[in-house]
Parts: sequence; C-alpha cells; structure tokens
Amino acid sequence: MSDTIVAVEKVSKRFAGRIALDSVDIDVTRGSITGVIGPNGSGKSTLFNIIAGTLRPDTGRVLVDGRNITSASAAEICGLGVARTFQISRLFAEMTVLENLVAVARGRDDRAAIALAMELLEFLEIADIADRWGAELSYGQRKLVEIARALMLQPKVMLLDEPFAGVNPRLQNRIVEHLRTLCAKGITVFFIDHEMRIVLNECDLVYVLAEGRLIAHGDTATVRNDARVLQAYF
Amino acid sequence: MNRMKKVNSLGVAGVAGVAALVLPFIGSDYTVSFSIQLLIFLVLAYSWNWIGGYAGYTHFGQVGFFGIGAYVGSLLNFHLGVPWYFAAIIAGLAGALTAIPLGGAMLRLKGPFFAIGMFGLTRVLEAFALGFDSVTGGGTGIYLKPVSDLRPVYYVVAAVAGVMLFLTWKLDNSRLGLKLLAIREDEDAAESLGIPTTRLKIGTFVASAIAPAAMGSLYAVYLGFIDPPTAFAPNIELTTIAMVLLGGMGTVLGPLCGAVVLSVVNELLWANYPQIYLASVGVIILLAVLFMPRGIVSLGMKTGWVTVSRPLFRRLAARHGEALS
Repeated sequence: MSDTIVAVEKVSKRFAGRIALDSVDIDVTRGSITGVIGPNGSGKSTLFNIIAGTLRPDTGRVLVDGRNITSASAAEICGLGVARTFQISRLFAEMTVLENLVAVARGRDDRAAIALAMELLEFLEIADIADRWGAELSYGQRKLVEIARALMLQPKVMLLDEPFAGVNPRLQNRIVEHLRTLCAKGITVFFIDHEMRIVLNECDLVYVLAEGRLIAHGDTATVRNDARVLQAYF
Repeated sequence: MNRMKKVNSLGVAGVAGVAALVLPFIGSDYTVSFSIQLLIFLVLAYSWNWIGGYAGYTHFGQVGFFGIGAYVGSLLNFHLGVPWYFAAIIAGLAGALTAIPLGGAMLRLKGPFFAIGMFGLTRVLEAFALGFDSVTGGGTGIYLKPVSDLRPVYYVVAAVAGVMLFLTWKLDNSRLGLKLLAIREDEDAAESLGIPTTRLKIGTFVASAIAPAAMGSLYAVYLGFIDPPTAFAPNIELTTIAMVLLGGMGTVLGPLCGAVVLSVVNELLWANYPQIYLASVGVIILLAVLFMPRGIVSLGMKTGWVTVSRPLFRRLAARHGEALS
C-alpha cells in the first residue's frame, strides 16, 4: 500500500479565462495532518471541490488510494472514503443534528446508524444538542456537527474546509484535539485554513497556494521560513 | 405521555378506518360520490408530496400520469373488456413505465425549469390524446360502461389512500425520507456526502407516478367517460398542489389535512356561492400560504396536538441513551 492516499497531479482549472489553479501537484500522506494555506482567492476551495468531485479540473488528475477519480461523481468519491465539510456551513437546517448525521449513514440498520451518530456526538462533546434543529445552531456548533457528519461516513480522508474560521480559540483547541485523535485512529486529515497558529503547529506537511500556483510546501519549519510564503502571506 | 399519544393516534386511526368502512352504507349516493373525489385527490396529494414535498422537486406534471392512467385503463376496459380494478393496476404500471425515461430526462432540470418542463410535457400528452383520435377518440372521448354501484370503486380508492398514508408515515420515519429531505435542502451537499441523489430522485419520481395513473383510471370509471381536457385538466394539478401547500409540504398529515379542508370548502362554496367559488378558493389558498407557509399541520405542532415529524429517530436515540445509562 502506497504512503500517498490523495495525489493531485498537474491539476489546472480556469473560470471564465481566469486561472484558479495552475498545474498544482499535491501528495497527502496516509495518516497525516496536511494543511493548505494561501491568501483569499488563491484556489484553496477550488482544489477541495476538485478533490471532492463537485468540480472537474480542466487538465490533470486526482488519485485516491491510487485510483483515478478525476471524472467520478461526488457521491462515488465519497464512497471511496473521502468525506468533507464546507467553508460555509451546509447543514440541513430543517433536520435535527441527529437527523443530519443519520441521513448520510451507510448500511441498512437504523439502530446501528443512530448508535454511531450518538457515539460521534459524544466524542465531539455535543451529544446535548442532538435534538436541536440545524437552523438553531451557533457557528461553532455547526462546524462541529459538520465534522461529526463527515465522520458518519467512516472516512479514510477528511477534507475540512476552514474548520477553524470564525471559531473561538477554546473551541479551536478542542477541534485540534479531536483531529489529533482521529489521526491516531488512522484517518488522514487534509484541511484548508487561515489560522496560521494551528496550521504551523499541528500539520505534518503544509502546502502554500498563491494565485492558483503552488509556491511552497514542506514541513512547518520549511514553510515558516520560505521567502515566497512570507511575501505572499505576511 | 408518549404512550398516551400513541394510543390516541391509534384510536383516531381506528375510528377513521371504521368510519371509512361504514360510510357507503350510512351515507347517501352524494356522500359516496363526494368521498370518492376527495379520496382521489388525497391519493394525488400524497403522491405529489413524495417528490414535491420530501425531495423538493415541485412540478406541474403529475396530471400527465393521471391522464396516461385514465386512457390506459379506459382503453383496456373499452376495447378488451378488462375489469376496471385490473385495468387500474395496469394503468399504475403504465404510469411507472412512462415515468422511468421521463424522470431520467427531466430530473436533470431543477427548480422552475423542472416545474415548467413537466407542465409542458403534460400539454404535449394532452395534444397527443387529442390528435390520435383513432385510438383515444380524440375530442369526442371514450364512453365507458357505467358502473351501477360506486361502492366498490369507493373501497378501492379508500384502500389506496390508506396505503399512501401508511407509506408516507414509513417514509417520514426512514432514512430514505431523510435522504430525500437532504436533497430538498441542499442537493449538492447531499451528493458530496455520498447520498445517491440521481437514483433517489428518479426512484421517487417513478413511485410518485404509480398511484396518480391508477387514480386516473378509476376517475374514468367514476365518471363513465374520459376526454383529453378531463384527463389532463390543469385544475386537477393545481388543486392537488394547493392541498399539499395548505396542509403542509413534506409531512405525513399535511396532504390529509389539505385534501379534507380544501375539498369540503370547495364543495360548500360551490353549493352556496357558485359565482364566486373559484375566486374564494384562490383567496383562501393565498391567505393560507401568506400566514401559514408551513401549512395546517404547523398549527398542530405549535399547539402540541401533532407531534413534530419523524419521531422514530428521537425515540431510537432516547432508547440508545437509556441503554448506555
């Protein structure tokens, strides 16, 4: 089994002629916490949408566990063990938290789905809001429920789109702890965020995008001292 | 408390079932005739609620399946002498068979495009029924042998309505129902989370075409006649949608409340104020949508008379909690 679980190879994407991604290469190592940073408009969310199958690249390909998923549907990619959260919460507002989780569960057994959902809510310390409607939740609660909902898919890879954005530092630390626990269980965490404190402290590997191009990558020390990163980001 | 509510629900269902059984024997011919119409609309409302209320694919094309069923059933009965109840089953299957390719093609559209596209398709079907007069009788229509006793028709329609109510309750308390609601709320997010949206939409669309087609066939039996303007009447479509809106979209009891209230109001206004009947119905629907956008059942939920939808998952979660403690 290869060490790379997600491989992005020479992926490019344009919107109305404007470059969103330009021949980007990324390798996500199995069981790692990998981060992508970059200024607004650098192509981070486009990259995630291409990996998750909601956008098709103009050129290049994406491999998950060695399998080419470039033209697979979002549901098929999800079926391969890639689960995601969204930059702006997309919880199902007219469902309860529990229903949000149970709706995406696999398998036929309702009781097993509910048991797993409750277990995940307890793991994330939000079991007390299981009965609340999606529309009633605070911003931070939504972020946690989205993580729980992605975990319902029992994924190999979690794509987290800005999981720390707009979340208070205490909750950020809680999310970090949960992500570490998930990683210890063998789940690969691949996330986008602007929260440099977390990205530069917690990631095994960091990729930096600017204007659709990959300008640097490496461990946190390498990225922290890269002149191009300092110029683009600070 | 929950047990009390369950007992109450079962009691209400039992009384309603007994009333439905004895109604043809204690009611007048008019009552039976009115009940058949109400129940046909009830079935149409439940079918529309699956695709429009749960999956969120509102459309103006259900009457197309109603019309297809009316013609399939009538032609089988008229030309081949197939018994009306058997013809209704075949009509239902014909509705499903037609819905498979139509769903595959039309469900690529979303929102108003799907709604209007289905309306257009229904008008095309009506034009076909008018044009192929060698088969359908064209504008002259088809006259069926009159049914001397409407009670068997009543029982069949009532049984189908009961089945639709039961199936909607099952759907509401199933993960399939949640997946359809997820499609209604955010189809792209649902797809990204592994919900097979295309398969579910087409499946629901096909399932929601069966009963309307069967009802079309039974409606022709009830009238003893069918022609294109009757089989594909836009009024049937609009009344059905109004019933679901009035009762509450994507709920178990919404279509029942909407169909009963609107049918009774329709009948009373028609009997007492025929000149302003249509305008009055329009005003009632407008007021209901403005002041009660979630339908009559939302009033019941606010007052605690009706439990919030989908109680099964809450019960199972509560049991899970009890098992752990």
